[in-house]
Amino acid sequence: MNNESNSNELEPLNRAERESHEVIDNGPSGFASQLKGFWVTFRTMFKKVNTVQYPEVKEATAPRFHGRHQLNRHPDGLEKCIGCELCAWACPADAIYVEGADNSEGERFSPGERYGKVYQINYLRCVFCGLCIEACPTRALTMTNEYELADDQRQKLIFEKEDLLAPLRAGMLLPPHPMYPDADDQTYYRGEVPGASPLQENIAEPNK
Amino acid sequence: MSIQEIKNQEITSSQGADSAIEMITIIVDGFEVSVPKGTLVIRAAEKLGIQIPRFCDHPLLDPVGACRQCLVDIEINGRKFPKPQASCTIPVEPGMVVNTQLTSPVAEKAQKGVMELLLINHPLDCPVCDKGGECPLQNQAMSNGGGESRYEGVKRTFEKPINISSQVLLDRERCILCARCTRFSEQIAGDPFITLNERGALQQVGIYEKEPFQSYFSGNTVQICPVGALTGASYRFRARPFDLVSTPSACEHCASGCDMRVDVRRGKTLRRLAGDDSTVNEEWSCDKGRWAFKYEHRDRLTSPLIRNESGELVEASWPEALAHAAHGLSINRAAVLVGGRSTIEDAYGYSKFARIALNTNDIDFRSRTSSDEERNFLAALLLGKSVTYLDIDKADQVILLGFEPEEESPIIFLRIFKQVRKRGLKVSALAPFTSRGNEKLKATVIKNVGNEVEDISKFALTNRSVILVGERLAEVSGALTAALKLAEQSGAKLAWIPRRAGERGALEAGAIGNLLPGARQVADPKARQDIERAWGSGPLPTQTGLSTDQILDALHKGEIEALLVGGVDPGDISASAIDGLRKAFVVSLEIRNSAMSEVADVVLPVAAVVEKSGSFLDWQGRARKFEAAVTNSLHRSDVRILSILADEIGRPINLGTVEKAAKELASFGDGSSDQKSALASLSADQAKIKEPGKNQAILTSWRLLLDNGSLQEHEPNLAGTAHPCVAVISDDRANRLGVVDGDLIKISNSNGEIILPLQIGDIDPRAIWIPRNSENSRPLLALKSATHSLVSVVKA
Amino acid sequence: MNTLTPVLSAFWDQKDSFTMEGYKRNGGYLALAKALAMDPDKIIEEVKESGLRGRGGAGFPTGMKWGFIPQGDQKDHYLVVNADESEPGTCKDTPLLMANPHVLIEGVIIASYAIRANHAFIYIRGEVTHVVRRVQQAIEDAYSAGLLGKNILGKGFDLELVLHVGAGAYICGEETALLDSLEGFRGQPRLRPPFPAIAGLYARPTVVNNVESIASVPSIIANGAQWFASMGTEKSKGFTLYSLSGHITNPGQFEAPLGITLRELIDMAGGVRAGHKLKFWTPGGSSTPMFTDAHLDVPLDYEGVAAAGSMLGTKALQIFDETTCVVRAVLRWTEFYKHESCGKCTPCREGTWWLVQALKNLENGQGAPEDLEKLLDICDNIMGRSFCALADGAASPIISSLQYFRDEYLEHLKNGGCPFDPAASTIFATAGLR
Repeated sequence: MNNESNSNELEPLNRAERESHEVIDNGPSGFASQLKGFWVTFRTMFKKVNTVQYPEVKEATAPRFHGRHQLNRHPDGLEKCIGCELCAWACPADAIYVEGADNSEGERFSPGERYGKVYQINYLRCVFCGLCIEACPTRALTMTNEYELADDQRQKLIFEKEDLLAPLRAGMLLPPHPMYPDADDQTYYRGEVPGASPLQENIAEPNK
Repeated sequence: MSIQEIKNQEITSSQGADSAIEMITIIVDGFEVSVPKGTLVIRAAEKLGIQIPRFCDHPLLDPVGACRQCLVDIEINGRKFPKPQASCTIPVEPGMVVNTQLTSPVAEKAQKGVMELLLINHPLDCPVCDKGGECPLQNQAMSNGGGESRYEGVKRTFEKPINISSQVLLDRERCILCARCTRFSEQIAGDPFITLNERGALQQVGIYEKEPFQSYFSGNTVQICPVGALTGASYRFRARPFDLVSTPSACEHCASGCDMRVDVRRGKTLRRLAGDDSTVNEEWSCDKGRWAFKYEHRDRLTSPLIRNESGELVEASWPEALAHAAHGLSINRAAVLVGGRSTIEDAYGYSKFARIALNTNDIDFRSRTSSDEERNFLAALLLGKSVTYLDIDKADQVILLGFEPEEESPIIFLRIFKQVRKRGLKVSALAPFTSRGNEKLKATVIKNVGNEVEDISKFALTNRSVILVGERLAEVSGALTAALKLAEQSGAKLAWIPRRAGERGALEAGAIGNLLPGARQVADPKARQDIERAWGSGPLPTQTGLSTDQILDALHKGEIEALLVGGVDPGDISASAIDGLRKAFVVSLEIRNSAMSEVADVVLPVAAVVEKSGSFLDWQGRARKFEAAVTNSLHRSDVRILSILADEIGRPINLGTVEKAAKELASFGDGSSDQKSALASLSADQAKIKEPGKNQAILTSWRLLLDNGSLQEHEPNLAGTAHPCVAVISDDRANRLGVVDGDLIKISNSNGEIILPLQIGDIDPRAIWIPRNSENSRPLLALKSATHSLVSVVKA
Repeated sequence: MNTLTPVLSAFWDQKDSFTMEGYKRNGGYLALAKALAMDPDKIIEEVKESGLRGRGGAGFPTGMKWGFIPQGDQKDHYLVVNADESEPGTCKDTPLLMANPHVLIEGVIIASYAIRANHAFIYIRGEVTHVVRRVQQAIEDAYSAGLLGKNILGKGFDLELVLHVGAGAYICGEETALLDSLEGFRGQPRLRPPFPAIAGLYARPTVVNNVESIASVPSIIANGAQWFASMGTEKSKGFTLYSLSGHITNPGQFEAPLGITLRELIDMAGGVRAGHKLKFWTPGGSSTPMFTDAHLDVPLDYEGVAAAGSMLGTKALQIFDETTCVVRAVLRWTEFYKHESCGKCTPCREGTWWLVQALKNLENGQGAPEDLEKLLDICDNIMGRSFCALADGAASPIISSLQYFRDEYLEHLKNGGCPFDPAASTIFATAGLR
């Protein structure tokens, strides 16, 4: 389809529109107006540069920026997620998929009875609204400031539990392992577990 | 007997069955409503759409008034009750004015108060609770509760959760002690294995330490629990209600015909719940129907298989497999065996396929022990009036012949039990021993193995009596005829109850050698013409077809060289069936890898119940329609594949969809004709069994509800509540053998032996009973006989 | 005041009052002979006329209760005697059975004859082993004297009497829970209707009566309804046992016509503990709302006590002097109810659990004055909302104590704990020392 035939199909413009389309170009009129034009450029040369050399240079986001999610751990390494699916329930974009499972004597991932066995967030759908964070009853799910969420394959943007789990910090043991000696889930929620005890480590050893 | 039972009986006996129902008009929240006398206030309010919150109340259980959540203000003829009353315990009375929480501030405050009290000891662990999202406590706390609790004290705690059986877990912290579960177990299932213990706030549901909750109906307690106190092991923590897509369905496990609800997430069944159909299963289901469904996604066949030159089954494309199957079926003389689990539409597909594509009447749905007498009996039966659950409700007497309701059709058991409890319904049974089920029914058990025909003729019945005949009665020659004659003479209603869900439907669809669809006799030329006209086909085969046993016999002899089978386990028919099948060209339509894969030449994968639509005819002859719960499955129903196969053969049956098959079958109507001819061909002579010698016994057996059935595979929790696999012998015999309960005994004949622990029971002293299809006890394979043969019994 | 009383306790001071000989010496079992010669309906009539009302607390007319039993229905009838006396403060049946078990047995036979029961049961509290032994012996003696069993006194009336020992649950004093317990189930109240008179024990017509009610029957038969009705007040006729306990000089049983006042009873009992004065008291056991010294002249009959805002109950008059902390006393009672709640219904089961914790806090001076309103509101959510009357009994002392002694509760809060010396209220505390 060429332009001419295209324009033939258009309604004729009314007067006001015609005027606004007309380019009034009288050309430069004297040094003063040129100087006026370049003044902006000149002035900017002495201002602070706003351009960020991303990705070579990364700037910190606002502290409450909604970035990638993280599944947190208790101080001894057990997962905080109990697989309750309230995050999935709250999600307006249906981006979260959770399956719960039983903690057994031999294989414990979280305090209490239940843990999240499957945990997926689909970042193709996620709108970073943070409702999931509000829904989480154990503060297991929080958001980091990480914003680099692009990839070349759609599958890679469905993050699995391993991708979302917080890294093990000092004093943490990789689950599965038993609860802190003489502690129950309540103790964990009250924040009374300081970090992994050597007793947990000994028992956890065979699982590694 | 409890008070309630006696009260029930007295009420029923004082009211005539047909007496007119007296209506009473009351006013609820300013609106008038008329309800039958005896209706509880809470239900009268429901009729107006006024929802009074409740926990302990359940329409099918006796009122208890324990939770006190349903308090309302009541006045009768201007006289006001001084305190709010529990609307779930008070029947309507003339002149009653009820003010619920909607119009009475007192009732509203009372309900809020009770709700607050209910929650003080509730752990509020909704995030980890399976009930979260569909919890009556959660919902009613939102709708009728007070928002915030004023309780600041210490909650009572218990150890979380405890197993009260392998499939039910109890969390006592969450329990609100409404006693629904204990009342269900006692009043509906007759298995009072759970009860309330202790007192005060420490009151709790418990089991007797030596007897776990081994009930076939325990899953119902999980369903009616108004909180998450009782949870099922197999669904625990699996999903949330919002994950699930619920589809009404029908149960495929037996002929009871339960309405079910299937909850699916991402193409996978996660749980099944009993549906609500007051004329069939009320709101109950058995544990098998509820929890046996993992077969749907384990060992599934995903592509057609063809046996190659080296004798191995290998994957093949559909066109290749269909061409191979069509070739094999058309060049040989072929017959059809339909497993008893097909839907009526699929069965109709097999029936039409045999007649048109294979030009034969050699088709039989009875892939189990069967007899020719049975085939004639069934033809005659279809002409009789249909019997329903309501007939059991009204019966003056129920006779069980070759039928163990609790094991073989559990919902019928519940229905009979209900009447036994309610009005002392008289139950008699012909059985080798008094099973637990018959004990619960307080049945008079006639234990006289080998003389069934004579015993049947001795029953004195009326036209309000109901005779329930199990498929096993066919194993006793003459017994079916005797039962039919008994029904004719007394006017009693007779129902045939197959064990499998598809048999009744297959019978009506004509998937049997002597009948065409719509119960038309093959031998009747007019009936054949009807069908020819409807199908627009050429002349149909005229000769009455072979039965299952005859087909297998013909396979052995090489008279039949090809076989189309749909969901058949040769081990269910006889020990030698597999050998016959080996000789033939076998095309098998299957959902999973099975014993048939060993002998099949072509295996075509088909859809499981959850992936297709269709309907089962239950024992009443009532269609139980269901739609596909998994809608995006790539598997197709048998009838569609048969239609394609017929096209491939070049003799189309034109049944491209389930709907088309259903419509076509329905258009035939009831074509039954002369009943006498079928009856006349029956003879009522029973083959005599030799009296057993000193160390001999007459073998008897039936299948337990939970056993080695292939649809129950991969369900360890369910298997945990199976009845023990034991051999039942008499006290006498145990003394003779010098054995006690739990000792091993050996049951043998020339074909083989079975070793089982024994249990002394109230059994015919000449007989021994063993399970028919349980671990270590498959008599049909081991002894080549399942019943009514002599075996030797010795201490192992 | 007339002088017809004492009747029930007339011969308790005799050494062998509990034996057959002792009882017969004082005219025992004469009423039985008279009754068996009467028409059963006439006996019911006589008891109705006498105006005898249930002595177990509710005060339901005994004769009317008997009259509810359908006659000619071809069913077994049962008489059950409720001797499961376990209310805090109530202690009339135990001494009565200890001192004179035969008067109960005679009453049982007459009552059974009247309602055409051939089986009677005495459900007795399990903790009182000594009384169990004594009643058991009395029953055996009655059997050997031909007063129980087949063909009693040759009059063709048969009666089997069974003594059943409870397992120690307060709730089994509630008549339907008692029946459940007697049948071998856990004692929990049953849904009514059907009432026991229609479907009671083993779903058969059953009369459940208190020990004292039944024990009063022989004297009515012996002396006539008019004699009985001449005692007491207009609607509360006859004599009864008042049990005085607590801070009183001579605690014990005081038999008097209904309608006597506490002031008179305290005089009979030698006054309040020396050097102290009355602070509060219960008219009928711990489950009846408490009274104060302002109620000393309330006539102790069913109507009089009700008009003053409480219940006559079991006439268990617990006397507390000014050394007693009312919060502490109420807490102890509430703990009892929490322990004895059967657990069937929510308000009682959960409510008593909560009340104990709330009262404990108040006793320890924790909380704010608003908590008293909260406490009252919880009581309001329990009172009249439960399945049986146990929870009402648990809420009553709290509501009434807040009515009369609110300041004392506030004192606890102000003081940050109990302002009383608990030792001062004990009986071993030196009189008058504070």
